[in-house]
Amino acid sequence: MLGEIVVGLAIGSAYSLLAVAVVLVYSGTGVLSLAMGEIGAFSLYAGLYAHDHGIFGWQPGVFVAGLLAVAGGGVLGLVVERFVMRPLVGRPALDGLVATLAVALFLALTELYLYGLDPFAAPSPVGAGTIEVGGAVLTATELVLFGLAAAVALGLYLFLTRTKFGLATRATTSDPVVARLLGVKVNRVYVFAWGVGGLLSGAAAALLAPINGSLTPFSLTTALLSALAGAVIGGLDSLGGAILGSMLVGVVTGVVGSRFDPAMSAGVVFVAVLATLMIRPRGLFGSPRAAT
Amino acid sequence: MTLLEVRDLCSGYGTLQVLFGVSLTVGEGEVVALMGSNGAGKTTTLRTVTGLLKAMSGTVSLDGVEVTGSAPEKLVAKGVVMVPEGRGMLRDLTVSENLALGAYVIDDKRQVAASLDKAFTTFPILYERREQKAGTLSGGQQQMLALGRALMASPRLMLVDEASMGLSPIMTERAFTLIADINRTAGVAVLIVEQNVLALDLANRAYVLEKGQVVATAEGADVRQMQARLREAYLGTVDA
Amino acid sequence: MQRPESRHAGAGVLLVGALLAPLALNLPQTSIIVTALCFGLVALGLDVLIGSTGQLSMAHGALYGVGVFTALGLGSRGAPWPMAFAAAIVLSAVVAVIVGLPSLRIRGLQVAIASLAFQLFAQQLPNTYSQVKSAGRTFERPGFLVDETHLYYFGVACTVLVLVLLNRLRSTRGGRSLLAVRDVEARAAAFGIDTGRTKLFAYGVSGAVAGLGGALFALQQASVSDLQPFILRESLLLVAVVVIGGARSAVGILFAAFLLKGLPGLLGTDGNVAFLGDVSQWLPPALALLLVVSVVLQPAGIGGVLRDLNIRLTPKGERLPPRPQPTDAALATARARMLRDVPRPLKERLPVPALLVADQVSVRYGGVTALDALNLEIRRSEIVGLIGANGAGKSTFFNAVSGLAPTTGVIRYRDRDLLLSPPSSRSARGLARTFQEMGLVRSETVRENILLAQTWMADYPMAAGLLALGGSVGTERELRRRADQALELFGLQHLAGERLGDLPYGTMRIVEIASAVASGPDLLLLDEASAGLTPDEAHALGDRFKALRDELGLTLVVIEHHVPLIAATCDYCYCLESGALIAEGTPAEVTAQPRVIESFLGRGTLQPETLRPEEVLA
Repeated sequence: MLGEIVVGLAIGSAYSLLAVAVVLVYSGTGVLSLAMGEIGAFSLYAGLYAHDHGIFGWQPGVFVAGLLAVAGGGVLGLVVERFVMRPLVGRPALDGLVATLAVALFLALTELYLYGLDPFAAPSPVGAGTIEVGGAVLTATELVLFGLAAAVALGLYLFLTRTKFGLATRATTSDPVVARLLGVKVNRVYVFAWGVGGLLSGAAAALLAPINGSLTPFSLTTALLSALAGAVIGGLDSLGGAILGSMLVGVVTGVVGSRFDPAMSAGVVFVAVLATLMIRPRGLFGSPRAAT
Repeated sequence: MTLLEVRDLCSGYGTLQVLFGVSLTVGEGEVVALMGSNGAGKTTTLRTVTGLLKAMSGTVSLDGVEVTGSAPEKLVAKGVVMVPEGRGMLRDLTVSENLALGAYVIDDKRQVAASLDKAFTTFPILYERREQKAGTLSGGQQQMLALGRALMASPRLMLVDEASMGLSPIMTERAFTLIADINRTAGVAVLIVEQNVLALDLANRAYVLEKGQVVATAEGADVRQMQARLREAYLGTVDA
Repeated sequence: MQRPESRHAGAGVLLVGALLAPLALNLPQTSIIVTALCFGLVALGLDVLIGSTGQLSMAHGALYGVGVFTALGLGSRGAPWPMAFAAAIVLSAVVAVIVGLPSLRIRGLQVAIASLAFQLFAQQLPNTYSQVKSAGRTFERPGFLVDETHLYYFGVACTVLVLVLLNRLRSTRGGRSLLAVRDVEARAAAFGIDTGRTKLFAYGVSGAVAGLGGALFALQQASVSDLQPFILRESLLLVAVVVIGGARSAVGILFAAFLLKGLPGLLGTDGNVAFLGDVSQWLPPALALLLVVSVVLQPAGIGGVLRDLNIRLTPKGERLPPRPQPTDAALATARARMLRDVPRPLKERLPVPALLVADQVSVRYGGVTALDALNLEIRRSEIVGLIGANGAGKSTFFNAVSGLAPTTGVIRYRDRDLLLSPPSSRSARGLARTFQEMGLVRSETVRENILLAQTWMADYPMAAGLLALGGSVGTERELRRRADQALELFGLQHLAGERLGDLPYGTMRIVEIASAVASGPDLLLLDEASAGLTPDEAHALGDRFKALRDELGLTLVVIEHHVPLIAATCDYCYCLESGALIAEGTPAEVTAQPRVIESFLGRGTLQPETLRPEEVLA
């Protein structure tokens, strides 16, 4: 049981990275991004391909391949922001959702085209070491995930509440037109949100794929959906709520998934989302705005 | 000296043209009123001047330098702030955060602290409610916050869109008084856009907008006459 | 505007092509087309949500699966095929309604996430519970469908049936309600539309069509072991097909489905074409890229391209002025009398002296009080003016009456409290209104919009309209007749077929007033009636108000900024300020009161020296 909870928490931590990426983009730009999983997966594919086959005579190790995925995710996030999302500013929220869906679809189908349907072996960027803590065996990947999720949550909280640019980000969420009239360069907020969102997506991909055992097209989008389910349960515009919600979904996936079966755990998550939206649409910790 | 000059401005939404060649000027330290009824194009004028809306033709100049179509955030840095219609509250942010954002373009922390101090002494109620979300304030308090926030940027020109909207006559009067005070004590030029003819009490110069065109201009003592004429037109029982 | 004849001609050509196609195809190719057709049917179902209702479902791959495995489960256990089909359709519809439940509480984004959560759940089921797949058993085809070509024709027949039904949906109550939910959801209740039921209806129809596609697929495959057609990827591809094909364009959507699922297979058994490479490999990412581009550049998909072409090829007739025409007074009176004849119970029609009484009515948003314990009375057969400065609470009062604002207090209409009944029931009780920012559907014709406003009179169930049952045909004919009378009353008959969004603003406002009158109200609430009109038109509108009062005994409440128009038309007048009533009486009395003059013009002269900023806070 303890082992299952640990695995669940590790998966939940990876989900929480994705959830934070989604919430960041959602609060910065008002767009619910479905591309946040595949952006990381796409760059992880590139990193792993370089690791396996080398590019330009250079064959990076697993750790560097992981870093490549993180950096690549950031770059890809910026590219998507500039060429897909920027032209959509001011259009209905559903257009943004469909656009990110299109990006996810394009990235995943391109992965399929380039690398085929066979799963890609995904060694952990931080090695296969383990450590025993209080009767539970933790892998290095899990440990790093815990640390990273906590650091990202804390860092982002401090950023949003303590820095001037964080305040500008929140102002942009509240009302982009008024923010502009106060001198906030909202484009920078958009760029920042997508850039950091991309980095987080890359990190989540690099650390989640080893736990799943391999990398396949759409696998990170599937993970993203679990994270999104968690974010809806916790509150789509509440950082803490989204993290808590996705942790919860991770634990449910880990425990129910292995005690019973994957269908059961996905069913529990679906019912929880349905119940949240019917009973308290803003989520456990969201503001009333999250329910629109 | 002329601070803001708008010349032959045409603008609108999509294929719908709203402004048909609007020209006006605001001199340094002046209060200028742009009067007009609903749908005359007042807000459209302000949105085009601040760059929220793209001009179809015509120019907007600041200190003699053309700034047509430049982004609103750039104008703030040049000392032009807008108090939008409906007061433009960032409803989910606290009163303090709203004020802090008013000084977003100011980098000097001491200056910001001084402005905040001044805003709180001018509006003690804002200090009392500094941790409250702006959306929970009453209409009058929101108007205070909107004006206080605009002052945080130490502006040279304030564009005020319908300060009277949703306020009782007494609150409207007080908002106007406050604007007059700001103009007098801080030397801030004000372009006040209104349908309430009381605004003409503040004005050194005034324009009347009708169907997207300036149909009357008055300056100095003539502003009073214009006010009288507009009063009659508003409540006249014959078709004006 | 697209002429119906040209649309029918296009559909005819397509149908002939579809009927002749098997002559040019071999059996495996025919089989591929059937598969693509199944996918196309599911996409058509999805379009009911995306294109017509503005709801995004990303679970249609799973709903497809529900249809497939239901039909398969029953068919492979010996159930006759019609039963298997019916069960697949019904179960998919029910499941779709469950997926759509969150749309009752919230709009947009989160509903889409709920559908994704369902997709993740449902795609696990056949993997985990192998009995779902009916392993080892097969769904035997009935004798007349054994031949693949026959199955193809059966598929085409199913598709035609779906297209006919969806077309019927558009021209009946259900379809109009969907569009109202899509474009003016917050105001749809004012037409008597129950938005919640309408959305669930849309989910149900959408699921049923997907279920039919699934049943057809089950029949074709006989047994299914590969789960790829129902996974998340397919759900996303279905959205892509609808967007690329063009929302509300059946031809575009079917073509996009063919492009994605049919073409690669047709180009060679293994999808290889000499100079194109392996089409089946690169086509999916290429289509996804096309989707990205089409969302960014916002063309209306393949369907939009076809429509544009159609407009360009249609010879331009003489353009009539898009303004109302002058109407003959006698004719107008006759039309107005006919419109008065509405199916409303007698007790709801008997004259009462005070039609509407507001008692301590308040509306609060956050910290702002928009209406503050308002008391007023609207007497029967009067034109009542509502004046006050911007933000005084005039529109808020209308919203309170029509149930679109969080209201406390009592609003008695014909001596019963309106606030106790749902907003959508109020149009049936004789309330109609217009909105400051038009509450109609701009993508539809003028006539369709008038029909929309008469929704409460279309008393057949939405599904009955779809199937032409329950008197829906006769009711629709009657409503169309009424709509045309309303158009004549306002001199709009020559614009009946024009797209509303193509008309000048002032004309749109008149259409909205005409639509409100067509709904046969006793009490008409008009928000900024004369906005956007020329002075002459405004004057004519004032005369029309008097005619509505005198000929029909209608009661009108008019929010108006132009005080002279109030003076010329109103019997009584209320003046609001900061959400409270400050004056009432005849227009002359009200505009003479010092309080009112103050409210509009201020108290006189400002004396900046006498007021300190601190006092502002008193």
